[in-house]
Amino acid sequence: MGEIVRYKRDVWGEEVILGVSWDLLWVVAVAVLVLLAAHAIVMAVLANKKMDKPSGEGKRVVRHEAIDRWFHWLMALSIFALILTGIAPIVGLRFAWLNWHWMAGLLLSFITLVHIVRSLFWQDFKSMILGPRDFAEPFDSTRLPGKYSFEQKGMHWAVTVVVMTVIATGLLMFLQIDSPFWERTNSMPESQLGLVFLLHGLSTLALVALASTHIYFAIRPEKLFYTRSMFKGWISEDEMKANHDPNLWSPKQAD
Amino acid sequence: MVATSHDVMLDIELYQPTDEANALALAASLGKDGWLLGGGQDTYGWVKDRNKSATAMIELTQVDAWKGIKETSDGIEIGAVTTLTEISKNPLVKEKFALLAKAAGVVASPQIRNVGTLAGNLAQDARCWYYRRGLDCYRAGGNICYADSPEGLNREHAIFGASRCVAVSPSDTAPALVALDATMVISSAKGQRLVSAQDFFVGPDVNITSMTALEEGEILTAVRLPNEWANAEYYFEKVADRNVWDFALVSISAAMKVSNGVIEDSRIACGAVECVPRRLDDVENALRGQQRSEQLAERVASIASQGAEPLNYNHFKIPLIENLVKRAVRG
Repeated sequence: MGEIVRYKRDVWGEEVILGVSWDLLWVVAVAVLVLLAAHAIVMAVLANKKMDKPSGEGKRVVRHEAIDRWFHWLMALSIFALILTGIAPIVGLRFAWLNWHWMAGLLLSFITLVHIVRSLFWQDFKSMILGPRDFAEPFDSTRLPGKYSFEQKGMHWAVTVVVMTVIATGLLMFLQIDSPFWERTNSMPESQLGLVFLLHGLSTLALVALASTHIYFAIRPEKLFYTRSMFKGWISEDEMKANHDPNLWSPKQAD
Repeated sequence: MVATSHDVMLDIELYQPTDEANALALAASLGKDGWLLGGGQDTYGWVKDRNKSATAMIELTQVDAWKGIKETSDGIEIGAVTTLTEISKNPLVKEKFALLAKAAGVVASPQIRNVGTLAGNLAQDARCWYYRRGLDCYRAGGNICYADSPEGLNREHAIFGASRCVAVSPSDTAPALVALDATMVISSAKGQRLVSAQDFFVGPDVNITSMTALEEGEILTAVRLPNEWANAEYYFEKVADRNVWDFALVSISAAMKVSNGVIEDSRIACGAVECVPRRLDDVENALRGQQRSEQLAERVASIASQGAEPLNYNHFKIPLIENLVKRAVRG
């Protein structure tokens, strides 16, 4: 325990980076568990004081279009497959993981690309921009967000940075192995290769932490209506008014 | 780091159990720190070059229960620390499973066969020289393969089934045991498990740092050969740069059941073309029920090399494997 980066000797005998120390996986796992457990306890204590909960009945408004829900679940599937196949050999589970790993990686790359294009030209990109107003939101209970809250935007941009790093480094690593599309050249300098492995490892650890946090909040009782909307597409008008500012987000009525 | 041989032995704690229970208990308690030692022909090279080492070694050759060859109701059982010389000269093995006798008889040199054990030959580590020289390649836990690089020397390496690492299975007896449908007896303090010879060897796609299914604390204690393939028609050939004291460039082990010139069934495995002994299933299927002939040999030979992905310097292995299959089918 203790080291963050692993080093090795390259072919010339020079010390170069090998990658991240996978001991950190356990550090991340424990840290996330402790933090989420602490959050759950605090929320349980606060829950006694909060009585009113918006109703899920009545008129409904659209929160997520079908295509966006598909994107979300495909991304979740690919990230879950990437984490599972990437971490399995580290924790000692033996199977031919590499082909599944790069296939899941290609799926993630593709849907991320589609999402970027769609969000830039067909979606309300501004609703996801994190501005100064958003940073005041957690400290002022009278301020309600537009479509996305400060936490949701923060999570989105954190996932964006981490996923883009995972994809960029993953594609560079993909070039170093044989695939149906090319034969590897294996010619990247070892010091650069080590940096790529290190960034991939660090972003993987961050992704594990973010995915765990995301799942935790998705199953929190007070957030379940958001999760429902990721399945069914809608939230109730009551839920919308209780959590969002209609002046900043005016969704259309759901069928 | 890079190959320097030393004359002085490292300070290693040596355990020499004489009974099974003690050896298994030692393997369990020492875990990955307990290097299993047979004849030492793989081990001592690592240690002498200081490219791998151990704090403790468990010498297994004094456990009588794991030595010798005995007949069972369904074939024969060979103790894992039986020497290769004994196997190659044993009357029972020669009579029923001459394929194995021949394979064991061409391992390395007479001196090495005199001390080298069956388990040692089967579980020996990869012979890729980049790996053996102590470079931090994929197999050593690194992130690169030096053999499959633009300047990499890979004449002896894999033409099939490479996954990052391109090292091959160096064992001569391994393909013979796959062809004979052997079963490996793996023991540990927790009990015993049986693994088919084919599943005993593990490719880099599944585990890039180990060539066998042996887990920490486990010992290969015996190999069982079923009568199913006893006295079949065998063909073994090892092609190497030297006749003695060399690893195979390609080897072939074939067991065929032939009746009136018709090949009823067969099991064929090649060594040194993949990280595991390569079973030629497609060739076996093509042979099944066919009249043995020169035309048949020609036809199935090309099947053997289908899917080969040679590296810069080992294209020669393709005609080599094809010709060995031809010879095996011709008989």
